[in-house]
Amino acid sequence: MTESTILSGTNLSKKYDTLEVVKGVSLAVNAGEFVCLVGKSGCGKTTLLSLLSGLEKPTSGKVNLDGRDITASSEDELALFRRDNVGFIFQSFNLIPTLSAWENVALPLFPIKMTSEERRKRATELLGKMELGPRIEHLPSALSGGEKQRVAIARALINNPKIIFADEPTGNLDSSTGEAIMDILNRLHKEKGVAILMVTHEDELAKTANRLIRMKDGEIMS
Amino acid sequence: MNLRYMTKELYYQKRRTLMSILGLSIGIALLIILNSLSMAYRQAAHVPLKEIGADITVQRSGDVPKELAGPVFPCSAVTIRKEEVEKIQKLPGVRGVGTGLLLWVFDPNRAWVVLGIEKKNSIGPSILRSSVTAGRFLEDGKPEALVEEAYARQFGIKLNDSISVADKRFPVVGFVDASRAAKIAVANVYLPITEAQNLAASSKELQSVSPFNPEDVNLLFIKADQEKITGLASEMKGILGNKATVATPDSFLKLLGSLFALSDKFTLAASLIAIIVAVLIAFKTMAGNIAERAREIGVLKAVGWTNRNVVSQLMSESVIQCFMAGILGLLIALVAAFGLSFMKVNIPIPWEMSPTPHFLPGGGDQIFKTLRLPVHVPWNLAFFAILLSVIIGGMTGGLLGRHISKIKPSEVLRHD
Repeated sequence: MTESTILSGTNLSKKYDTLEVVKGVSLAVNAGEFVCLVGKSGCGKTTLLSLLSGLEKPTSGKVNLDGRDITASSEDELALFRRDNVGFIFQSFNLIPTLSAWENVALPLFPIKMTSEERRKRATELLGKMELGPRIEHLPSALSGGEKQRVAIARALINNPKIIFADEPTGNLDSSTGEAIMDILNRLHKEKGVAILMVTHEDELAKTANRLIRMKDGEIMS
Repeated sequence: MNLRYMTKELYYQKRRTLMSILGLSIGIALLIILNSLSMAYRQAAHVPLKEIGADITVQRSGDVPKELAGPVFPCSAVTIRKEEVEKIQKLPGVRGVGTGLLLWVFDPNRAWVVLGIEKKNSIGPSILRSSVTAGRFLEDGKPEALVEEAYARQFGIKLNDSISVADKRFPVVGFVDASRAAKIAVANVYLPITEAQNLAASSKELQSVSPFNPEDVNLLFIKADQEKITGLASEMKGILGNKATVATPDSFLKLLGSLFALSDKFTLAASLIAIIVAVLIAFKTMAGNIAERAREIGVLKAVGWTNRNVVSQLMSESVIQCFMAGILGLLIALVAAFGLSFMKVNIPIPWEMSPTPHFLPGGGDQIFKTLRLPVHVPWNLAFFAILLSVIIGGMTGGLLGRHISKIKPSEVLRHD
């Protein structure tokens, strides 16, 4: 692990009963790096992403995120760590259906002591950058797939994270909308210097990344 | 807890919110109505005694003379001695004692039901003062009579007439309509108690079966501390012997025979069932609601909400829903109480307390005190129901929140 390494996983394994989904994987992501994890469906990409982001604990191995061994942290410590350092983008957007676009973006800020105006200001700024200025009061049900994913990206950025974990972010979008989302992610990576670890099964999308890691049957191939 | 998130969740999930509120409100309404009904029956049971300004009435049964001539005691009300009255007056919890003397007077041409009353004692039949329909009430030291209005009409008795009761003449100074006032301790003729005592003391027939001194009486009207009434009733039976008849609100309640009137245990059991039903409804609907939101909870945890943040959010939603259910339940109960307050209840008056000789026409008929059931929702019951709703909400939200907050975000957020 070098000084610029933001994320590293060492000998990570994950077993569900007798089924070993991730088998002794080690990898590192540098600060500001855009890494794509590619592999067929069921090869263990999403599980590895969950282990590296602290959403799930490994059966064995260690994860170091921004200089902290997160495998030793409690669930609440991990939640707070994620809130301050990590952003998530999911394939199925995972927006809260009862909250407007700006409220969804501000969701990670809800438990933090700050005024509603401050939350709204920060969320609105990010939605503006995602070209969703006129849609801030809309509920997710009134947004298109691409708009929903842009709201989700804004949510991932609300706490100025050092790294974003993206799990098939274009998986539910048509190709042109998917390209637009990839453009946004690339722009974020370049302009903000935020590290991105993205899981995808589409080689075409992975080409834009700085580095590509292939997975097969729970192991890293290259 | 985020207020904006909570209100939006409740507002946009209208069907879910309404189902939870409606379900719990029915349980809460049931709890309030059951208790209000029970209290209404208890209150109704106080009415026959309250009408004569008492909490307890006491009399003693005995024998009737072989020959019914002149003044005699009804078999349900024979002599209560002055010393016994004094003992009762001294019992702890007794706040005041009124006395009366009920006589049947069999004159050659007429039978009278005569009640001797204490004119200045506010406890007992002097309450009839407010039921004088013509003339005036009895005055101190004067041997005069009040006549029941209907009786006077039937027998053509007029104001200032002189009536002869057991060979003694009394000027009629007023008419009373006792039916306006009370169902117990009523008579055809009301005399000052000293006059009635003199009539009783001079009756050989009466003395032959129930020795009587001029300071004795045969009816007691007692004001007592509410919480001591039951205990006092048994102490009085101890003083007067096993032939004593002690009427209390509880004894009237038993005569009512309603399930609500039968016992506190029924109301308690029914209330407990209502509470359990309310809790189960709240738990079931909330559990369903929260289970539907597992993915949402996973998102909250993924973006940095701690278990405590999740629990407090779900708990606040649950408390608000249950609070609204409590308010709705209270409103339903208020409407139901208003409707039930039009219900009439007939309180049977025990035959021992009926003043009319049972062998005279109408004397054997069952007398009832009919009144509207005084159903209302007292503020402390309303407050308790709302508080209970909030507690149910807190407990349900807390328990379910703790359970759901343990889910792993990775398990619920895996893409479809």
